[in-house]
Amino acid sequence: MKLALVLLCVAIAAFAVQFGGYQRYGRFQPAPTNERAEFAWSRLQYDPAVGSSGGFGGYGYGFRRGRRGLWSTDYPKADRTFLDALKRLTRINARSYEQPVSLSTDDVFNYPFLYAVQVQSWTFTPPEALKLHDYLLKGGFLMVDDFHGTADWDNFMLGMRMVFPNRPVVDLPDNDEIFHVLYNLDDKFQVPGEQFVNTGRTYEKDGYVPKWRAIRDDDGRVMVAICHNMHLGDAWEWADSPQYPEKFAGMAFRIGVNYVMYSMTH
Amino acid sequence: MFQFLFRYPPAAYARGHFVLLAAWPAWVLPLLVIAAAGVLLWLLRRRWNRRTAAVWGLQSAVIAVILLLLWQPALAVSELQPEQNIVAVLVDDSRSMALPNADADSGPTREQAALNSLQSSLLPALRRKYQTRVFSFDSKITRLADAGNLSQIKPAALATRIQDSLRQLLDQTGSLPVGAVVLLSDGADAGVDSATMAALAARHIPIHTVGFGSLQPPRDVSLDDVELPAEALAKSRVQATVSVRQNGFASQHAALTVRSGNAILASQPITLPPDGQTATVPVMFNAGPAAPKTISFELAPLPGESSRADNTQSRLINVVTRPQRVLYIEGEPRWEYKFIRRAEAKDSQIQLVSMVRATQNKIYRQGVTDPAELADGFPARAQDLFRYQALIIGSVEAAYFTPLQQDLIQAFAERRGGGILFLGGQYSLADGGWADSAMAPLLPLTLPSHKATFVRADLGPGGKNATAALTSTGGSSIVTRLVDDPAANARKWRGLPFLMDYQDAGIPKPGATVLANVLAPDGRTLPLLTLEDYGRGRTAVLATSGTWRWQMNLPLGDPSHDLFWNQLVRWLSAPSPGQLTARVSPPTLYDSGAAHLTADVRDADYNPAAAVPTLTAHIQQPDGAAVDAPMQASPQNPGEFSADFNASLPGPYLATINAPGFGQTTVSFERFDGVAENFHTEQNRDLLERLAHQTGGAYWQPSQAGQLAAAIPYSSAGIATQQNLPLWNLPINFLLLLLLPLGEWFLRRKWGVV
Repeated sequence: MKLALVLLCVAIAAFAVQFGGYQRYGRFQPAPTNERAEFAWSRLQYDPAVGSSGGFGGYGYGFRRGRRGLWSTDYPKADRTFLDALKRLTRINARSYEQPVSLSTDDVFNYPFLYAVQVQSWTFTPPEALKLHDYLLKGGFLMVDDFHGTADWDNFMLGMRMVFPNRPVVDLPDNDEIFHVLYNLDDKFQVPGEQFVNTGRTYEKDGYVPKWRAIRDDDGRVMVAICHNMHLGDAWEWADSPQYPEKFAGMAFRIGVNYVMYSMTH
Repeated sequence: MFQFLFRYPPAAYARGHFVLLAAWPAWVLPLLVIAAAGVLLWLLRRRWNRRTAAVWGLQSAVIAVILLLLWQPALAVSELQPEQNIVAVLVDDSRSMALPNADADSGPTREQAALNSLQSSLLPALRRKYQTRVFSFDSKITRLADAGNLSQIKPAALATRIQDSLRQLLDQTGSLPVGAVVLLSDGADAGVDSATMAALAARHIPIHTVGFGSLQPPRDVSLDDVELPAEALAKSRVQATVSVRQNGFASQHAALTVRSGNAILASQPITLPPDGQTATVPVMFNAGPAAPKTISFELAPLPGESSRADNTQSRLINVVTRPQRVLYIEGEPRWEYKFIRRAEAKDSQIQLVSMVRATQNKIYRQGVTDPAELADGFPARAQDLFRYQALIIGSVEAAYFTPLQQDLIQAFAERRGGGILFLGGQYSLADGGWADSAMAPLLPLTLPSHKATFVRADLGPGGKNATAALTSTGGSSIVTRLVDDPAANARKWRGLPFLMDYQDAGIPKPGATVLANVLAPDGRTLPLLTLEDYGRGRTAVLATSGTWRWQMNLPLGDPSHDLFWNQLVRWLSAPSPGQLTARVSPPTLYDSGAAHLTADVRDADYNPAAAVPTLTAHIQQPDGAAVDAPMQASPQNPGEFSADFNASLPGPYLATINAPGFGQTTVSFERFDGVAENFHTEQNRDLLERLAHQTGGAYWQPSQAGQLAAAIPYSSAGIATQQNLPLWNLPINFLLLLLLPLGEWFLRRKWGVV
């Protein structure tokens, strides 16, 4: 029985590895490499911390991540759906396809915008932490999303403190420019993941209240935008699902567009 | 010999003209000559060969000379009446006349040599025929009370001002019959202006110059000139151009030091040019905090230099705090926009006001001073656009601007004097329709006629991409300077990370300067950064929007990206004039206090201001006292005011001009006394010769001074009579009549036909 269960898990994992991510609305083709554009949606690839599984509190996480790690949550449909919206709503010359970026090479410096999810599971080698540190201080922008509750926060900060040991994390006030650079986001609310469709719950784990936080540079500009206790990636991924409420998807798009616009202007 | 053969001195021939005194018509003479030659030709026609041709030529010449003498040739010339005319003798008494007269360090000084010439030959010869008045001169003339006591003349004056001295002489002798001027000098002066030359010409006074001092430059290094902007922004990098001339130290190195007070601003070695040539060397330094400053440039003396006094120059620079407002319009959100903003945020003198088309109908503004600024989009009125000093146009189609806005953009550079920078991009330059727009003349390049000129980097594996390389001009440009040494700067640029994109911007127009090129992956070399002056302003094209990659890919803390942008934007904005500008001519006064201040007042549209109250320049003098110089409105040029000011004291002056409603401006100038004499200590023969020839006189070397008196009589100045000097009895005539037949006889003997 145990053997059968193990085999079943292996088979499901193999399926997830083969097709990757959420497949309900069709398969995604590998990203073409010949498209050149001003903006590339760059998703941070990182190694998970030892012991992190990402299987708590979520719905169906474990089998979807497979060998890729939690960095690829909602990947690539969330990325491509968001890029569709970004191209439609702004004049940003954006590539149609996402760009996974690792800190193991200097390629990251070609992409001044980084998006990272499930960051409660990230960890860095010292050279990677230094690279991310330099990347951000040179003008790079990091947006983190999809981590929930107290434990995730603590784990996120373990990684963040490898990058910036002393730089404070601050709450973003409603009048911060990042919430007004394109859309006025005075009426922000918690954007839930896809679990909302089945449960009506907007939070995960103990992340009841959405936190809009940031790490600023010496001139007060946001360089790490922290979306804690919300799941924007899921909202983008499920934006075309009839069951997922439009108001959440709409808010997620507006937040994402504002963050990208801010990253390109500050 | 000349006078033996031709009987009269060369001056007589130079100033007279040829006449024939015979009663017979002059046209008969050539007819007779031709007829005689024809008869001889007819007689020799049967035996015509080379020998008979030579004989024919010689015999014809003899007949021509005889006929010419029969027509009584003469020289018509004005000749001064003896004892009735005055010859003014001017002796230079400036400090440079105390230098040795010859190449050797010992021996008589130039002054001693001049006085010896005067006493031994020149003055006695002149006094035999004319009244003489002896003056010493420097910046003024002083008549010697006792003309016999030349030892009163001492070479101690600070400077030679030939022009001023001649003016004074003309004024003092306006009613006197001055027949000629004899000027003894080393010519250590800049020259004589056209007004003085015209005044001399009006009185027909010939000036005979006698030059003293070695014609060969001494073994010396001289810091001849320094070009420095009159104004600079605080904490900016300033570039000066230093001119160094040398003799005897070719290819050696000299250390140049730039100082402000006791503080050393820059120091660099200079490789000296070949003998007699001038090298121009750029040197850069930090302007420092705002204040009027005297910057001194000093070349360290080399062993064996004949003079060290010409190793130093100083210049005034007015370092000001005047934040520059720069408008940046971007047609789409781009990384370059962000990184330009971040770079300029570090420059306290630049206020970057930007507008980016975030969506089709939304414009995101940054850096505005009030909510209304740019609220209606790109300015459509001159006074709204002209409040900025510079304009950066990003990835924006030409058609985005209305025809009125296009006219304003053109006027922004042409009339307002602002700087405009065009960036590369998918909607820029040729791809944005700029080649066919009314604004095409603004660009320093002729854009390609085709589209698809914008190329993004290939970030895939093995992708080849474009890099930047400086031109030789760019190596030492203040815009592209990343390190001071030009060679190291060029290497630094070649080592920059590849550009994220580039654009074919076409061909530079005549007069444009290319500072950097793109080395494209397909092997082409394309202009990257091209500048030119346009109207009162400047325009530039940076054919990329991918310099941000330098910032992201160079090590953290590398200043290259930000430094480049700071320098480029300062170059673009800092020279843009305000509504009130002022200038002084000349900005550096040597041994003279005559300064001319000019103010130019423009209205908000930068047209010459029509209604301006009277202007006054408040001038702070070197001794701390302040004087007011009322400025007069120019009747020819609306909005222009000027004043003449006599800077009587050596030292720096600061003039402040305030025009209510138009702003306030300051301008500085400085007077140096006794400095010019330290430079170019060899005899300025060129000036002395030019002065003599333009007035009808002659240049004489000291050894020829004894002959000078003979050239004096032939002058139309003073009291003169018209003389016809006969030429028929010149020895040369008789010699010719003897030599021509002798020549024929000699040839016949040689041919054996005698």
